[in-house]
Amino acid sequence: MDNDRQMNRRTVLDPAVADLLSNMEQRQSESQMTHNERRKRNRERSKIAARREQRATYDLPPSLRQMIKQLAEKERLPASQLVTLALIRFLDDLQDGEIDLGQYKEPSRSPRYDWNLIFPDDMIPPMPRGQR
Amino acid sequence: MGMKVISFANQKGGVGKTTTAVTLAAGLAADEYRTLLIDLDPQGHVAFSFGLEKTPGFYHWICEGKPLKDVVVPVRPNLDIIPSDKRTEQVKRHITLNDFRENILIDLLNNSGYDVVMMDMAPSLDVLHVNGLVASDWVIIPTRLDAMAIDGVREIILTMGEVARRGYPFQGYSILPTFFDRTTRETLVQFKEIVRTFGNRVWPPVPQDTRTREASAYSKTLWEYTPNSSVMIGYSNGRARLGGYRQIMKRVIEVING
Repeated sequence: MDNDRQMNRRTVLDPAVADLLSNMEQRQSESQMTHNERRKRNRERSKIAARREQRATYDLPPSLRQMIKQLAEKERLPASQLVTLALIRFLDDLQDGEIDLGQYKEPSRSPRYDWNLIFPDDMIPPMPRGQR
Repeated sequence: MGMKVISFANQKGGVGKTTTAVTLAAGLAADEYRTLLIDLDPQGHVAFSFGLEKTPGFYHWICEGKPLKDVVVPVRPNLDIIPSDKRTEQVKRHITLNDFRENILIDLLNNSGYDVVMMDMAPSLDVLHVNGLVASDWVIIPTRLDAMAIDGVREIILTMGEVARRGYPFQGYSILPTFFDRTTRETLVQFKEIVRTFGNRVWPPVPQDTRTREASAYSKTLWEYTPNSSVMIGYSNGRARLGGYRQIMKRVIEVING
């Protein structure tokens, strides 16, 4: 049988051992990099570090997320830029008094928040059937 | 919870058996497990680690039939030891002349009243070693990551297989890499090799740390002398820690609690 296609039985390792082993293997492979590879790796790392300030995680209704994804694909744009535009427009409208948060506010039971925004059912469309 | 007997064995010397036994016994005692640490090694380094003279407690217990309560030495709250010295060599001769020679330790430990009994075994393969293995529920095999020490691991596992075949099965065993230096290529090669061979029986390693030697020179346990050094808390991995005796303590408590 071809060596590459041989079935290997996976051994479950102690999680700390697995983490340490992968750290050590990564270190070793990095130590064997050429000068150019090391420069490329450092460039990628600094790119990732620079983007860290721009990243945010929010929970969105899945259908809204899907709509943004579809629009980004249709317009051939990065989804992040579409969301940035939408948020800027929203903040402008909020400042101009064109959006009233009060109509969606309901008291929250959470110790962290005083209010929740409850949206009417027809405001967020359901996910299309095939994409649920 | 029934009494659990855990032994520390490797036929190769200088792999950290005594340091591991003393550190884990002291940790369990501090966690309020009533713990007995028995020194089966004529070098008598368990007593030395606690700043005591080597005395023939083990010899008195086995050869002279003195009761357990008369030979144990309290060294810390919840922690007693049975010390050893060169007269332990004579114990081997005594056991060899006995009819039920494999069961002597296991019989003497019955109803001892401890939660955990730990045994620091000598780096040898003799009748005392077999006695210790027969009495053990779990065997921890400390090993350096070099070819000779790993060969010692294979030898002890073969011996354990023979003991199990004679009707004294173990609940399990673990391999504990000690003197771990993650910066050398040889460590990585040997570490991968034992992980490939023994899988999840390999516990997270204990880093090499010169403070370990200092602790025994001052007759302190590592918990007392250097509780936050790398030998205790391991390597950092983001917010998590990898290896070190604190993590090993958690693995031992899992063993004790079944």
